[in-house]
Amino acid sequence: MAEKLPKSDDLKATWSFVEPGLQLILGSDSVATVTPKMYMNVYTAIYNYCINKSRTPTQDSSYGSGSNSTTNASLVGGEIYLKLQQYLIEYIQQLEKKPEESFLQFYVRRWVRFTIGAGYLNNVFDYMNRYWVKKERSNGRRDIYDVNTLCLLTWRDFMFRPNLEILLEEILTQVELQRLHKIELNMEISFAIKSFVSLGFDINDLKKQNLSVYITDFEKAYLDATLKFYTEESDEFLETNGVVEYMKKVDTRLAEENSRANIILIEHTKRPLADVLNNALIERHVEVMYEEFNNLLDQKQTEDIYRMYSLLQRVPPTLEPLLIKFEAYVKQQGLKAVAELKQSQAAAESMGAASKKYQALLPKLYIKTLLQVYERFNEVVYMAFGNNPLFVKSLDNACRDYINNNSIAMPGIDNNGPTVFKGNSKTPELLARYGDTLLKKKAKDSDATADMSADELMNIFKFIADKDAFETHYRRLLARRLINGNMVSEEEEESIIQKLKEFNSLEYTTKMSNMFADMKASKDLRYWFKEQEESDNTDLNIFVLSQTAWPFPQFKQPFTLPDELLGTKEQFEKLYSEKHSGRRLKWLWNLCRGEMKANLARPGKPPFILTVNLFQMSILLPFNKRETYSFEELHEITNLTPEHLESCITPLVKYKLLIQSPEGSENTGKSSTKFTVVKEYKSKKMKVNFMQGVKLDQKHDHDDAQKEIEDDRRSFLQACIVRIMKARKVLKHSALINEVVQQSHARFQPSVGDIKKAIDLLIEKEYLNRVDGDSYEYLA
Amino acid sequence: MSKEKKIVIVSSDNEKFTVDRKVAEKSILIKNMLEDLLSNEDHNGDNDDDNELLRDAAAVDNNDLDVIEIPTPNVRSTVLKLIIEWCEHYKDISFPDENQDEDSKKTPPIDEWDKNFLNVDQEMLYEIILAANYLNIRPLLYSGCKMVAEMIRGKSPEEIRKTFNIVNDFSPEEEAAIRRENEWAEDR
Repeated sequence: MAEKLPKSDDLKATWSFVEPGLQLILGSDSVATVTPKMYMNVYTAIYNYCINKSRTPTQDSSYGSGSNSTTNASLVGGEIYLKLQQYLIEYIQQLEKKPEESFLQFYVRRWVRFTIGAGYLNNVFDYMNRYWVKKERSNGRRDIYDVNTLCLLTWRDFMFRPNLEILLEEILTQVELQRLHKIELNMEISFAIKSFVSLGFDINDLKKQNLSVYITDFEKAYLDATLKFYTEESDEFLETNGVVEYMKKVDTRLAEENSRANIILIEHTKRPLADVLNNALIERHVEVMYEEFNNLLDQKQTEDIYRMYSLLQRVPPTLEPLLIKFEAYVKQQGLKAVAELKQSQAAAESMGAASKKYQALLPKLYIKTLLQVYERFNEVVYMAFGNNPLFVKSLDNACRDYINNNSIAMPGIDNNGPTVFKGNSKTPELLARYGDTLLKKKAKDSDATADMSADELMNIFKFIADKDAFETHYRRLLARRLINGNMVSEEEEESIIQKLKEFNSLEYTTKMSNMFADMKASKDLRYWFKEQEESDNTDLNIFVLSQTAWPFPQFKQPFTLPDELLGTKEQFEKLYSEKHSGRRLKWLWNLCRGEMKANLARPGKPPFILTVNLFQMSILLPFNKRETYSFEELHEITNLTPEHLESCITPLVKYKLLIQSPEGSENTGKSSTKFTVVKEYKSKKMKVNFMQGVKLDQKHDHDDAQKEIEDDRRSFLQACIVRIMKARKVLKHSALINEVVQQSHARFQPSVGDIKKAIDLLIEKEYLNRVDGDSYEYLA
Repeated sequence: MSKEKKIVIVSSDNEKFTVDRKVAEKSILIKNMLEDLLSNEDHNGDNDDDNELLRDAAAVDNNDLDVIEIPTPNVRSTVLKLIIEWCEHYKDISFPDENQDEDSKKTPPIDEWDKNFLNVDQEMLYEIILAANYLNIRPLLYSGCKMVAEMIRGKSPEEIRKTFNIVNDFSPEEEAAIRRENEWAEDR
């Protein structure tokens, strides 16, 4: 290199001076390196040339001589710029690939070196960049660039463009070989691909990144190749390996593509690449995956289900059919489980097992069956679907369906057919009985309820459609537990009521809460009464219950209270009405029971304690006076109907407290039949319960409950309609129906027919009026 | 971390000035050059992975040198001495973004220190300006130009000619023509 700097006005000399330096900077094959001296010399030569040239014209031109004023301040650089441009073209064109390297290797090797050189060059030509290029560009010239950009553009036009095809082909071949695991991922491809990014320019703002080259020349080809590769691979793999293996394969492939993308691609491609992969690997094969879904559920392959879910989740619309399938499957499993239970019940009954015993077991078995299905799929939703709200909803829908509507709840339907059974689901009642079993004191210390819990009850409760029916049945059973004093624990009872309240509404449990309040008030009342009462040998344990809360119908049959009890009764009524004037007491004789001491034991033994209901008591008391009464006489004393009397006497005879003559159950109810009390009662137990033998009218009770539910619904619907109409004044028929359905939702599912009936009734009662054919008007 | 390299700036008349890198880099020219020529080291931090290829290709072994001599063939030692003095003074101050578009940049009035510093004879001021431009030390270039502008401010053409020792080479007709054309700019 020339030691002395060239003359500043000599372009040719200047260029010959800098050229060897440029050669080194861009990367010659020689080992010589760029030294600070060389760097500074090249910079100085360019600087001198620009400065000198810029200065010269001012001396030549004189104002007004015709040259325009910009010449005065003209900055020089154009000739140097052109020289440089020419030099770069020649430099790039003479680059040669080594025989042993592929084009890609050559390209990357040269590109990497070239871009570093371009950075140096930009600084070495800084003076030209700083003044001349800047001015040209600010004058609007868009074909002049800073030196770094000029280098890249020249590369683009003279190296990249002419060789694009082979470059692209080699890149894609490399990628394919990687996908086939024939070669490792290497950095060469990454450099080559990043060159596509560097070669895009925004002609108006060179600093802005522009991906046009990357997108048009590379990305599209890459995506096409990807689609083709995975379309072919997935078809073939599925064919030979089946869905389960395929899904694992897709998992691996997606992870591979993701890490490859992180290394060789830029952010921009991630979305379109995901779309291509989703399409090739997932969307194209959703049908076979759907087909496999039920099998996986059958085999409880949670892991595979999770895999399927996470794949489909990449393309959210593909989840929809899975949701539908899942819901249908759960429902079908629920129905199947119930049908199996029903069959085994039927089988057991036909084997001669006592049907009563099975009746008692049914609520527990039934609720357990419902729960098992729910719990199984709840776990699937958790483990395989990550508690995705869509699947939670599908599960809920399916559960609501099979829990309310199955072959036990609605005996008329079979699993496949449409609903034939008209009427209400039995599930609420069975659930209430499940609760009763759980909460009632057991006769023997059995662990029959060990695996039952309030939580289970609540789990099913939330799916019950007719919440009002459950409330009615539950309340009736609760009433019995309270009156008969056979609750397991009061806390447990109250905690369930608390849960029901939280789940539904305060209103839902009002009656039950009132019942508890009555119980408590009665207890206080008893203490109070004991203090008032003049001593008596009867021990009165009285409950005062409000008629609206308790499900006990009034006692309307004829009955004469025995004289022995009459005094206590009257005294209580007197004291009570003094304390609470205006309250009316009605006696539910049918719920009364008591214990009597019977001195029928062998001498020296303590007397027997007989547990009897009030009617039996009134039958037995006369025997204190005489040993024998005829049926007719007892009827006159007690005033009970013959049927009632008969059903009460039967257990007394059966357990040999009274001797009937003539014998035989067919004679019990005959008016001439005589009953004599035994002289000495033979029983191993000191306490004998005669109430169990009294036939209770179960059927009657059930019908009552049903009637109560229906009455409640009717008045609820009417109240609901009036409330809505009062607010809206005028409303279209369909809108009214919708609102009513919505407001009833938490209690039960009213039929349109029921609502219409309620509307008609209100029109009759002149609450509403029909207007305009299909609307109603509220009449204040 | 390799030890700090010694930077030696050499004037056109071969006088050597040893300075801290920080001082030398007030010249954007030198800053860029050092970054380029020592690129391997400097870039170790940011993209280490961009790897062997880069290093081999750069083929720059300046890293082995402990002393880097930078010739400045356009700057005399007397001028360079002053330039370095200025750079020393400002070594811990970073100037606003060098790349910012200067048209939009309103530079503040000349710093008092600069004013004193540049209180030299015209010839020296002119050389400092040239050197600042050459070495790409923008704040110094601006201060220098402003000093010149201060010298012109409020003076008549005749006074300006005197100040800068310019011979009036206009003919009386030409001068009249200029006056006519620029009448609007007269401050009356």
